Formats: sequence, C-alpha cells, structure tokens
Amino acid sequence: MELELGLSLPSSDMMMEKRIKTNFCKKRSFDEVLDEKTVTLPLFLQREEDGHGNSDSELNYGGGRVIVGWPPVKLPRRRTNCVKVNMEGIAIGRKVDLSLHDSYQALFRTLYMMFPKKHEDLTYAHVRRTEEEDGGCDYKVTYEDEDGDWMLVGDVPWEAFIMSAKRLRIIN
Amino acid sequence: MTYFPDEVVEHIFDFLSSHRDRNNVSTVCKAWYLVEQLSRLRVFVGNCYAVRPERVMARFPGMKCLTVKGKPHFADFNLVPHDWGGDALPWIETAARCCPGLEELRLKRMVVSDESLELLARAFPNFKSLVLISCEGFSTDGLAEIATHCRGLRELDLQENEVEDHGRQWLSCFPDSCTSLVSLNFACLKGEVNTSALERLVARCQNLRCLKLNRAISIESLIKILARAPNLVELGTGSFTADHRTEAYQNLLNAFYKCNSIRNLSGFWDAAPRYLQAIYSICSSLTVLNLSYAPAIQVNDLIKMIRHCFKLQKLWVLDSIGDKGLAAVACACKELQELRVFPSDVYGTGIAAVTEEGLVAISSGCPKLNSLLYFCHQMTNAALITVAKNCPHFTRFRLCILDPVKPDPISNEPLDEGFGAIVKSCKDLKRLSLSGLLTDKVFLYIGMYASRLEMLSIAFAGESDKGMVYVLNGCKNLKKLEIRDSPFGDAALLENVGKYETMRSLWMSSCDVTQGGCKALAAKMPRLNVEVINEREESDEMVENPSDMHRVEKMYVYRTLTGPRDDAPDFVWTF
Repeated sequence: MELELGLSLPSSDMMMEKRIKTNFCKKRSFDEVLDEKTVTLPLFLQREEDGHGNSDSELNYGGGRVIVGWPPVKLPRRRTNCVKVNMEGIAIGRKVDLSLHDSYQALFRTLYMMFPKKHEDLTYAHVRRTEEEDGGCDYKVTYEDEDGDWMLVGDVPWEAFIMSAKRLRIIN
Repeated sequence: MTYFPDEVVEHIFDFLSSHRDRNNVSTVCKAWYLVEQLSRLRVFVGNCYAVRPERVMARFPGMKCLTVKGKPHFADFNLVPHDWGGDALPWIETAARCCPGLEELRLKRMVVSDESLELLARAFPNFKSLVLISCEGFSTDGLAEIATHCRGLRELDLQENEVEDHGRQWLSCFPDSCTSLVSLNFACLKGEVNTSALERLVARCQNLRCLKLNRAISIESLIKILARAPNLVELGTGSFTADHRTEAYQNLLNAFYKCNSIRNLSGFWDAAPRYLQAIYSICSSLTVLNLSYAPAIQVNDLIKMIRHCFKLQKLWVLDSIGDKGLAAVACACKELQELRVFPSDVYGTGIAAVTEEGLVAISSGCPKLNSLLYFCHQMTNAALITVAKNCPHFTRFRLCILDPVKPDPISNEPLDEGFGAIVKSCKDLKRLSLSGLLTDKVFLYIGMYASRLEMLSIAFAGESDKGMVYVLNGCKNLKKLEIRDSPFGDAALLENVGKYETMRSLWMSSCDVTQGGCKALAAKMPRLNVEVINEREESDEMVENPSDMHRVEKMYVYRTLTGPRDDAPDFVWTF
C-alpha cells in the first residue's frame, strides 16, 4: 500500500475524510484505514476559518493526530505556549506566548511591536495600514515545527500551528 | 391537603428547595399549581430555547432569582460555532418588563453583550447578585455599568468567561457608597485593574468574604488587600509572584497569619516555591484548594503543602502532581470528596504524568470521594474495578484518557469491564464521561446498571447502533446525552424517539446520523427541535442535490415548547 501526500482540494476528498473517521471509530489502527493500493491523502483538510482564526476541521498532520476539541478542556486551561522569537540580524531574541493569541493577525501585531523595523516609526496605525495595503506582513516569519522543519507561518490553520510551532524566526 | 389554606400549603412548599420537587408538586392538582407558581422565588431554565422568557415570567411573577443556561456543553471544547446563539438579552429585557424585583441572575454558556449588562444594571433596583459562567460577548465596559448602577450589589462572580479588556477603570466605578459586596470574582479577566481602587473597595466592604483576583495582581497588591480583608473565607491569590528584588516574603507570611478564616484558595498562576511556604499556616484549615492554574508549582513543593491539608474536601490540580503526588494526597486528605486532575501538557508530548496507579491510591486513601475528573495517559480494567470497590459513592465520574481509543495497556482489552464495574457499584452515579477503547458492551452495562444517571458523555466509543440503543432504553433518568466521533447512526437515533421528550438534550457530532434520519426524527416528534449545524462549504454538487444520505456533522436535539427558534444563524437548520 502506498501513500502519497498531496495538496489536494478538500471537496474531492470529503468521502475520504468520512471514511477515515468511520474507520477511526471502528478500527483502531491507522494502518487499517486504507485498503486501496495507492491513495492520495489530503495534506490537510481546511474549511473556512471564522474570524477568530479557528477552523473546524480534522487534520491528519504528519504522523500525529490533531483532533478538534480534544482533550476536552476549556480554553483558559490550554497552557501557556511560549516560543522563542529571533529576528535575522538581531542578537537578542524574545519570547512570545502563542496561547495569548487567537489568530495570525494577533501574532503578527505582537511581533511588529517586539521587532519594529528600524527605519520606520512603527505605530499601531502604521501596522494596520501595512497589513491592509500589502495584504500581509512586511517581513517573513518562519517557524520550526515538531519535526524540525522550517515552514512559513500562515499556511496551516491557527490551531494546528500553535500545537506544532517550537520556535519562530523573522527573516528580512 | 386541599383543605388547608393557601398560606399553609405555601409554607409547606417553602421546605422544597429543589426545582424538581417544586415542579412535581405543581402537577398534583390545580390548587397546588397556583400556590406553587405564585410562591416560587428561584427559577431554573436548563435550556434557554426550551421555553420563552415571557412564558416563564408570566408563570412565576414573584421570581427573585433566575438561572438560564445556553449553549450545549461541547461548546466548551470549540465544537459549537461562535455565533450559534444563546443570547441573554431577551431574558434580561423580559425580566426588566415583567419581574423588576429580580435580585439574582445566573447565566451559563450564554452570550451577554455590554448592552445586556447595561440594561441589567439599570432595570432592577434590588439587584444583588450576578453570576456569569463560561459566557462571552461582553467587555469591561459592561462591568463598569454593573459597578456604577447596581446599588447594594452583593455578588459579582465571573467564572471562566471570555471578557474583552477595554481598560482598567471598571473597578473604580464602584461608588464610595458601595459597601455591600460579599463576593467579588474577576479571576478570568486578562487585563490590569486599578489596584488602588481595589484596595479601597476591599477596605470599605467589611462583609467581603470571597475575593478572587486575576493574574495581573501581584503579591505586593495581594499583601495590601489581605491587610484590609482579614476575614476572607475564599481567596484567589492573583499571580503569586513578585519582583524578586523586593522582600515580599515576610510581609506575605504576616498577612496570611492574620487571615484565620480562609477555607478556599485558588489562583497561584506564577507561584514561586518560596512564596508558597507562606500559606502553610492556613493549609490545615483549607477545605478547597485549586492549583490547576499553577504549572510553575513543582511536585515536591506540592507534596510539602498537601501534607498540611488534612481537612481538604476539594482538590483541583494539574497532572504534573504525578502518581507520587497523588499518593501523598491519599495519605493526607482523608476528607477528600472531589478531585480534579487536569492535563498540564495539552499539546501532548506524551510525558506520562498520572496513570491508573495514582487513581487507585486516591480511591483507597480517600473513602469519601464522590466526584472525579481525571485526565491521564492510561487506565486499566483492574484499576477501575478496584476504584469501584473502594469508592461506591461516586455521583460524578469523568475519566479522560488522553489518547482517545487506548485499550488497557496490560491486557490490551477494551475498558468495558472497568467502566461496567463503576456503574454497577456506584448506584448514585449521576454523571459519567467515558474514554479509552470501548465496545458496545460498556453501553449494555450502563443501560443495565446506571439507573440514576443523568448526564453521559461519549467520545470515540462503541461499535454499532446497539450501543446507543442500550443507553436510550436503559437509563431512565437520563437528561443529557452528548456523543462525538462514535459509530451511531439513524437506526439508533430513531429507535426510541419518545425518549428525547424526557431529556433536556441530545448532541451528536461526527457520528453516522444522516440528514434523512434527522428529518425523520423531526417529523415524528414535533415538540423537539432537531438542529443541524452545517459549517462546511459544500461542493456545488452537494448543494444542487442535497441528499438525505449525507452525514450530518453536528446535530443538537432538544425538547421545547417554542418550536424552531427565530434567532438561528444561517448555518443552523431546524428540521
């Protein structure tokens, strides 16, 4: 049995997701989920995010499992999740608590405050305008995930990101 | 009894404190119904959509205390979309019109806007107590309204709410004339408060017995506050850390030494070990200790503290306490009735914290244990059987094995027998949450033995429709059933449709129920609302040919007198 991981569209794999869920309930081994020869698993299944950066999807992320709403603890109990942030060219790093942010926008605002661009007078209003005009941040933010790989921040749903991010690095 | 004058009947009813008893007596005869409705002071509405506020207040015009609950329980875990509903405003508006004598309002899992709080603050001249639990939608501006306008406010209790921070001035809005506060809990607020205003407020409220501070309050502030409130019974400590340049420790020790009445402690967000020693003097009087927000406390410091807590009845901790720490609790806390062990490592790096050993130790050391919430990495049938034998008095038993389908690691079997032993032994069990690998058999046991069960939570369990049917046919007192990610489908849903009118609600998500099944249920049972939550972006094909065969992602069924609700968002369909 071969597995191909690909960035396939969610809709075409709706049934696959359902099968995974069914089999997940009935058979407890992930190996048993697929009995076809070659299968393309969506790398992630993404649904529309609500304004809070929460997306309501079940993800199969690398080897681990990210299950929405599990374990069943309330939001205030989700532990502080501090990660180191370094910016290219700056010796001293900072720490940011991901659990205090509920979206990428919120995180970027904090990062802008922590690492303002040297040649610009960075006020919050400026940050907002930049986001609206450029449609994104002025500099690139990358993160190291649980597998040690460096990825671009912003590609995966927020909930998955905060679970896997170990360190952040801002590149000019 | 009908020959007694109404006043006598009413006086007899005064002895009935539970809502259920009062509901029951009101169905005996018309005379009793009338006496009861006019004399009921405390009204409980378990589902805000089961009945209209107008109807409630027309029936109970003398209402002084109202409790209303909104969203389903699984909303706590992000399974209910943000705008699903549960608005408190209609209840507050109607009460303002019909029951202006309202004194207490308790809301749980509802959306409370600043506008609602403003109305609440101005419409009820005798208002005394506001309790908000797991609510959202308001900010510190709304709190400022309450502080400003509620003369004679006794209680403001904010538990685990999402509150938007619009500044620190709300606390200053309590006028100098406000001296009536008995209980103030703002532990869930994220922002800073005006500490000098707080100190003055505490000083002038001589009846203050419960004060729970938020994380922004430092030890220095705490010391000043304790000096002004030595009669506190319940204390939430704030961050419990200080700038280590100051020598706060001795001052803290002195402050606690004077507080002889403290029985309930919580907070400790950033507690440093040396500050923890300052509370040893009061540990021996504590009945409630909540350390579940204190990841910085190391297990050895915890054990040193617990050894003093021999009167403890309720303990909430993180699983970093370990089996070793739980063994210490079992030795020291013989009066323990409730234990909650929360996961410290929610992101699951798999470091084993507590196992079945800790639970077995507790069960043998603490015979009065009746309420448990236990997050662990593994559990065995043998352990559960032992626990069931040691502690037959459980009324609440919630076990959460972090890997949702993990079998007994020793025998590799499902945990059916273990949970079976629990339901068989604990005849008063009212609430049960299952986890681990479970087949239909556990539900057979639950249906057979759990006759007093009122709430059951199921996740990733069972093999077939039979499981759910055992529960629906067996548990005659079942009120709330919530199920996620389990293979129960239309056949189970439709097997015993009359059952749902005897229950408050049924939640099913990521199960095998289809749209057709939901429609069939709605057609058979007009007094139920069968709500389906559809958040997915359907592919074009699915929208053009909506099929009854499609599985429903989330379904919420509840009995109601009102028919489909008129505030349902567009992603909620009521069949």
